[in-house]
Amino acid sequence: MLYNLSQYVVLKKEDFNGFISDLVKEQKVVAPVAKGCGQFSFEEVKSGSEISIDYIPTILPPKKYFMPRDENIATYDLSNGEDMEPVVEYEKMLLFGVHTCDLAGIQCLNMVFSERPRDLNYLIRKNQITIIGYECNFYCDRFASCRLVHNHSPNGGYDLFFTDVGDRFMIHVNTNTGEELVAKSNLLRKAGEKDFEDLQRVREAKNREFAKNEIPIEHEKIPELFDRAYNSKVWEDLDKRCVACGNCTNVCPSCYCFNMIDEPNLDLKTGRRYRQWDSCQNESFAKVAGGESFRKERGARQRHRYYRKFKYPIAKFSRFFCTGCGRCSRTCMACINLKETLNSLIKEQGMENPEAGKV
Amino acid sequence: MTRTKPKVAFFDFACCEGCQLQVANMGELLLDVLGLIEVVEFREVMSEKGPEKIDVAVVEGSITDKHAIERIKKIRDRAKVLIAYGSCATIGGVNGMKNNFKLDDIRKEVYGDRFNYFDTVETKAVHQVVKVDYFVNGCPVYIPEFVKVLKAALQGIPYEVPDHAVCVECKLNENVCMYDRGVACMGPVTRAGCNSWCINNGNICYGCRGMVSNPNENGAMDIIKKYNIPMDMVINKMNMYNKCREIDKREQKKR
Ligand code: SF4
Ligand code: SF4
Ligand code: SF4
Ligand code: SF4
Ligand code: SF4
Repeated sequence: MLYNLSQYVVLKKEDFNGFISDLVKEQKVVAPVAKGCGQFSFEEVKSGSEISIDYIPTILPPKKYFMPRDENIATYDLSNGEDMEPVVEYEKMLLFGVHTCDLAGIQCLNMVFSERPRDLNYLIRKNQITIIGYECNFYCDRFASCRLVHNHSPNGGYDLFFTDVGDRFMIHVNTNTGEELVAKSNLLRKAGEKDFEDLQRVREAKNREFAKNEIPIEHEKIPELFDRAYNSKVWEDLDKRCVACGNCTNVCPSCYCFNMIDEPNLDLKTGRRYRQWDSCQNESFAKVAGGESFRKERGARQRHRYYRKFKYPIAKFSRFFCTGCGRCSRTCMACINLKETLNSLIKEQGMENPEAGKV
Repeated sequence: MTRTKPKVAFFDFACCEGCQLQVANMGELLLDVLGLIEVVEFREVMSEKGPEKIDVAVVEGSITDKHAIERIKKIRDRAKVLIAYGSCATIGGVNGMKNNFKLDDIRKEVYGDRFNYFDTVETKAVHQVVKVDYFVNGCPVYIPEFVKVLKAALQGIPYEVPDHAVCVECKLNENVCMYDRGVACMGPVTRAGCNSWCINNGNICYGCRGMVSNPNENGAMDIIKKYNIPMDMVINKMNMYNKCREIDKREQKKR
């Protein structure tokens, strides 16, 4: 890998809290914090000591800041005709500590909402959010599959990116916003040769760690797998187990479905239009007029979810919409595990290649 | 132009009247709502009896004897719109537990030797006796939802009780799951709409809003087994609010 010296700066670990405090003085800072029971969430922090830097993916992905669960879109007034006033709600903030899988999730959302007609609410809000990424040197847990979808290493989508190289962080400066942050801080120094050697050493160790073959199929063959598996028995198994709790889609960084709701105020004349996360796993989602559900079976809804991650977006956006974060498996009430599902499909279709993905 | 305010009356059947208390405790919001309607019958806060015709009847409690059946039919005749509110009214609620026993045994238990003087019938939710236009589930009702339903009723637009799991709202609120804390929770099979009220406050979901329409009961049992939760405890929990669901199932089969 080629490194461009001038794009890197260094922060000593002992200066980490000072760095965060400086950021907090300037703007709202959001970072992973511990919630107990081994779980984490992105929350506003006021100091570096509140941050859990060694965290596994948060309950909800940073998506919650890009497309809030309830978002006002317009206000209306029915007193004279149908007056609609568009509303855009946004807030300047900095997201600290975003893992590469979640950076990929934000990139997916960016693609979806940049499609025409573009979603101005989303795009305006996104421009107010500064992102500092954070590298995973180890797998977070057995549910992760970031390696399979090539999201274990940084691939853009951030302003600054931190890598722990021992007693200090190597920081990649990726955008103008990132440069401005660097210019404002007096805790950072330019990176030197020794810093690069250390970064390279960490990345090599990481490559070895992440070379364990997660799932025995070539990355390129996944679309073919899904071409073949539409009528697979595996979906019947999921049908028996899934309780349609919707957890898997609500926690997914690349699920973006929402529902539009009009809510009148008490005067019954004025009100607000807002959108709220919706999910293909919810009973009412697939209900069409007349109350018939066209994806009544839970297995069919699950299949739909997998195809929305591994098949449909390939044609449309040329990328997988599964970021490999593992959240769906971690949270599933019925212990439906994405890696196990993939493994069953691969086995059933006879597409196993134990050498696939090995470095 | 002054419009006459819609006349709203509150009635109660077998219940603890806790839901009415929720309304009485609404505070500021109650005053705003009162600006919208005229309350004509509300035992909890006023005593006068209302006029013959009413725009909206808000009914609390389940139907447990013949007298109640007659009364609810009369109320239905008087009301343009009928809202069933609270679990007792919408799903039978805890009163449904009576249906676990033989009716005579119940009467003997409650009234002793004189049980023959007191009639009782199988506990029913209000919609199992008369047509219900709006449902506000919950034990007690979740006030923001009640206000939402009231607004819908006054505007004449439908309100659909969410038919997805409490887990959905619970995840949106980013709670640590009770199962991860080692406690069983009815969220996965219970209808949302309360904004996962109990879990947000550190309690489990008791299933007070009733079950989703298409629950995967076998899947739910698998979960429960996996977490080593005693089966009879779960059946008790399910029964606690959902016993009257059997009447709905029976009716569906007849059709
Ligand atoms: S989290 Fe599991 S049980 Fe819940 S909807 Fe998703 S697959 Fe089904
Ligand atoms: S499908 Fe599962 S593993 Fe993939 S991005 Fe969504 S939550 Fe993460
Ligand atoms: S899924 Fe991969 S990138 Fe995401 S947190 Fe886990 S190890 Fe890191
Ligand atoms: S705590 Fe209960 S409602 Fe919340 S996700 Fe867990 S099971 Fe579902
Ligand atoms: S969380 Fe469960 S028990 Fe609590 S109000 Fe909601 S449905 Fe009822």
